[in-house]
Amino acid sequence: MSKRNVSRRQFLNYTLTGVGGFMAAGILMPMVRFAIDPVLKASASGGFIATSQKVSELTAEPIRVDYTFDQIDGWYESQVTNTAWVYKADDGNIVALSPVCKHLGCTVAWNTDKEHPEQFFCPCHMGRYEKSGVNVPGTPPSKPLDVYETQVKDGILYLGLLKPHKGA
Amino acid sequence: MKWTYKEIGMYQESKEYVDSLIIPMNPISFGAQMKQFSSMHEFMGILMMEVEKQLKGRLLLMPGLTYWSEGQERADLIEIWKLKLLEADFKHVFWITSDSEWKKYEEQLPGSLLWIPSIPLEHLEEGQARQMMNDQVRQMLDMLTQSWNK
Repeated sequence: MSKRNVSRRQFLNYTLTGVGGFMAAGILMPMVRFAIDPVLKASASGGFIATSQKVSELTAEPIRVDYTFDQIDGWYESQVTNTAWVYKADDGNIVALSPVCKHLGCTVAWNTDKEHPEQFFCPCHMGRYEKSGVNVPGTPPSKPLDVYETQVKDGILYLGLLKPHKGA
Repeated sequence: MKWTYKEIGMYQESKEYVDSLIIPMNPISFGAQMKQFSSMHEFMGILMMEVEKQLKGRLLLMPGLTYWSEGQERADLIEIWKLKLLEADFKHVFWITSDSEWKKYEEQLPGSLLWIPSIPLEHLEEGQARQMMNDQVRQMLDMLTQSWNK
């Protein structure tokens, strides 16, 4: 045994450092994962939901588009049907507006007030919005209707997250 | 607005805009009508959920008023509610039920009675049930907005 490049002491040092390292990593890994958890989570809410609306059938006139999805709300998992008011803007873009009034949350409808045609109308407190979704000054709502992100796949309209109106 | 912590908070903040109270009434029984009443209760639940969603900002939806179809004096129930309603400030009070028995008490009820026949949703296909439900909701919304505009 002429070549003794690893002494007993060195060997023990190496093994202990190695094992210790693994143990430290084992402890730290879950802690780090836990700390950055929101980053790792796939963004479930970013998903687009298919409607049954064909894009080719959209016109400049807003129409009701219903879409259904599973909602988990605390204890309840339920199928929820929501509505959007959808039309083609003058520049060809698809506009999908939330029907929820920004005043107190009633559901607005297109063109239902005879005195103010071509507007979104809230039956609760006579709130009104222009076709673009911008609230009419002097009526209760103080903000424009929220806007859905939209996507078109295979000629079908998909609705995404609700965003505040850009004109706000 | 619904009878939940969050929405009652919302109600208390914007009381001046909420002038309507909705009280759904559901009969119960352990007798022959048990099944029929359970179906009514289900129908009423869905109907009220939809109506509340449409007109959230102007009405407060009470939790369903449940009473024994027989052996419970309806006149007593009405008396208590009359008294209690004085403590709150609602311009419109709507009693909504599928129980036709209430028609006999229409005069005594403080507010308006809206009787709406229950649809046996369990015997219908999904699409058909949805369609009929939508019609009922529309009808109910019309009735409510009409009494607001009076």
